[in-house]
Amino acid sequence: MNFLKWSCFLVFFSFKGLLATSPDFDVLDTSHRINGSLMNEAIGVKKAEVLDLLWGLYRNDKLISHGIMVNAKGYLLSKASSSMGARYAMSYSGKYLPIRIRKRDEKTDLALWQITDSSKLWPFADWHNDLNKTKIGNWAISGNKDLSGLTFGVISAKSRSIGREGGVMGVILEESNSSTKGIKVLEVLPHAAGDRGGLKVMDRIIRVDGRTVRTTEQIYEIVKKKDPGDLLTLSIQRRKKESLLRITLGHREVAFDMFNRNLLMSGPVSKRKDNFPMILQHDLPLFKEMMGGGIFDLNGYCVGINIARIDRVTSYALPTSVVLPVLNKWIKELP
Amino acid sequence: MNKAQGSTAYHWFLLFILAALAPNKLWGIDASNTEPWNKRIPHSIDDLLGIQKQLHEQLSEVRETVVSVEAIEGAGSGVIVSPEGLILTAAHVIEERGREMTVVFPDGNKVKAISLGGSELSDAGMLKIMEGGPWPHATMALANKSVVGDWCFALGHPSGFDNERGMVLRLGRLIRKKDETIQTDCRLLGGDSGGPLFSLSGEVIGIHSRISQNSDENFHTPIESFLSNWNYFLEEDILTYGSLQGGGFLGVSCEEASKGLEVLELIPGTPAESSGIRPGDFLLRLNDTPLDTREKLTILISRQPPGSMVIIDYLHQGKEISVRLTLGERPAKE
Repeated sequence: MNFLKWSCFLVFFSFKGLLATSPDFDVLDTSHRINGSLMNEAIGVKKAEVLDLLWGLYRNDKLISHGIMVNAKGYLLSKASSSMGARYAMSYSGKYLPIRIRKRDEKTDLALWQITDSSKLWPFADWHNDLNKTKIGNWAISGNKDLSGLTFGVISAKSRSIGREGGVMGVILEESNSSTKGIKVLEVLPHAAGDRGGLKVMDRIIRVDGRTVRTTEQIYEIVKKKDPGDLLTLSIQRRKKESLLRITLGHREVAFDMFNRNLLMSGPVSKRKDNFPMILQHDLPLFKEMMGGGIFDLNGYCVGINIARIDRVTSYALPTSVVLPVLNKWIKELP
Repeated sequence: MNKAQGSTAYHWFLLFILAALAPNKLWGIDASNTEPWNKRIPHSIDDLLGIQKQLHEQLSEVRETVVSVEAIEGAGSGVIVSPEGLILTAAHVIEERGREMTVVFPDGNKVKAISLGGSELSDAGMLKIMEGGPWPHATMALANKSVVGDWCFALGHPSGFDNERGMVLRLGRLIRKKDETIQTDCRLLGGDSGGPLFSLSGEVIGIHSRISQNSDENFHTPIESFLSNWNYFLEEDILTYGSLQGGGFLGVSCEEASKGLEVLELIPGTPAESSGIRPGDFLLRLNDTPLDTREKLTILISRQPPGSMVIIDYLHQGKEISVRLTLGERPAKE
């Protein structure tokens, strides 16, 4: 089967931590590594300048996203789908202030928050729109999870648009041009959406979301328009009995086991990680709760907003060319 | 007067020699003219920019040499190291000798290649493009050139080839180097396997092998493994753990050191135990072949049937000794 081809090599997985071994003078001290404490010293005063702009957004006292101050009046930009429900923002200096949402954009997954009780003027981000600043191999820096220091990495792959992925059932259907008896399910991938929803091999799909389907293509059309996590209602025929199944659609790569291993080893990733007009890819070690924060060049200019954690080697950031038009429009609309 | 001048010149000369000899990476003294990537730690934004500039330059030099390697069952990465199209990759990417595989260039072009040898011990593997050339190729670092603390960058195709994304870069440092393994804090993922680890002078110092649970302690096959076993990998076979059974057995565990292979332990009841070799000795040569890696010793021994005679030269308390011994049988795995 074609998708099998894409199970990737790098199969061994060592659980043995390096530091579990006896003290070893041949090991580079953690402080000297690319994300070690000494790297923060190299950046000098820019460290405080960058951290001054970054905030943690909290819901029920739990960090859910990062945000970046974009205006002296206390406006914070963040990732919309991660920051929903945030009540407080905390700065690296420990200020804990209530916030409320002001704007949200579906296309970029950005949201604008405001510190509600803001009497002071806040330091806010300077932007860089020069594409030379985001070449592959350029340093990129951001705050670490609790904003106690910086994390370091590089722009790691081509800037590009990310298409919409769409949800999948994780089943293989018969190729049928026109059928009056529904579309036969040939294979149900274990643990994928269809399997979890109760779909079985030899079931015939009669209706999808109430619409009668006669071709396989019609089913694909309906499913394609939905996102992972969306609900799909199927009327199926099993041993001449008709019944209704509810299926929560899954991610393509999870369903087809292509990189299941890669996902397992990556830890939690962002829920929305597709359908962006343009992204910068970088290798900063970020958790999914760090989306919405800025990435900066070495001079402290913001070059993008972290928008999705994809896996343990990949994060996406929206470049300033995508962020600024949305932000500027919002700022104009607000008092 | 003359004497005083001479003496000053002499002292300056001494200072110069000392400065030139000072292992500044070791002692933390970064001379101001040291390249930023050769300093123990970057001290300023200028140092970081210096590293970035060097990375840009080397990246553009080597990126055409990095390929995706596709088998029927999966995808890995590799790096071309000769104009004839010899590719270094991981043993677990090729799995066996004589397999037909597809090599994908950065521009998406595909060519056929055939797998050669390697070793499961270090996870080194080779394959060769079947026709055409000359191919863009990377330079391999000399043995023992890379050391702990070196800046390095990883290239590869995590999760397989993606034309719109292209190959993916990771920057990091060499955090450990021992026997058949290099560890770095370059982040790796499935699909990177077999891809190259470059020094900041643009030379291949390793091949991506395994990922660690801790995402900034990943494993690479050192280039030394290829250099030490070059002809075996190229012309003979792939050494598997399975193929060790049935081969000759010495019964010594050792560790790579600058003098040779330092003997750690002798297994009771083996030829090594009765040979006179003792823990703390250094194995130098086997049948006149210098032993620069542990892997080489294993390959040389396991290729001979039990009962064959070998000559080992070793260093015992500073004295070189030559011993002739008969290889035993590898104990069966439990």
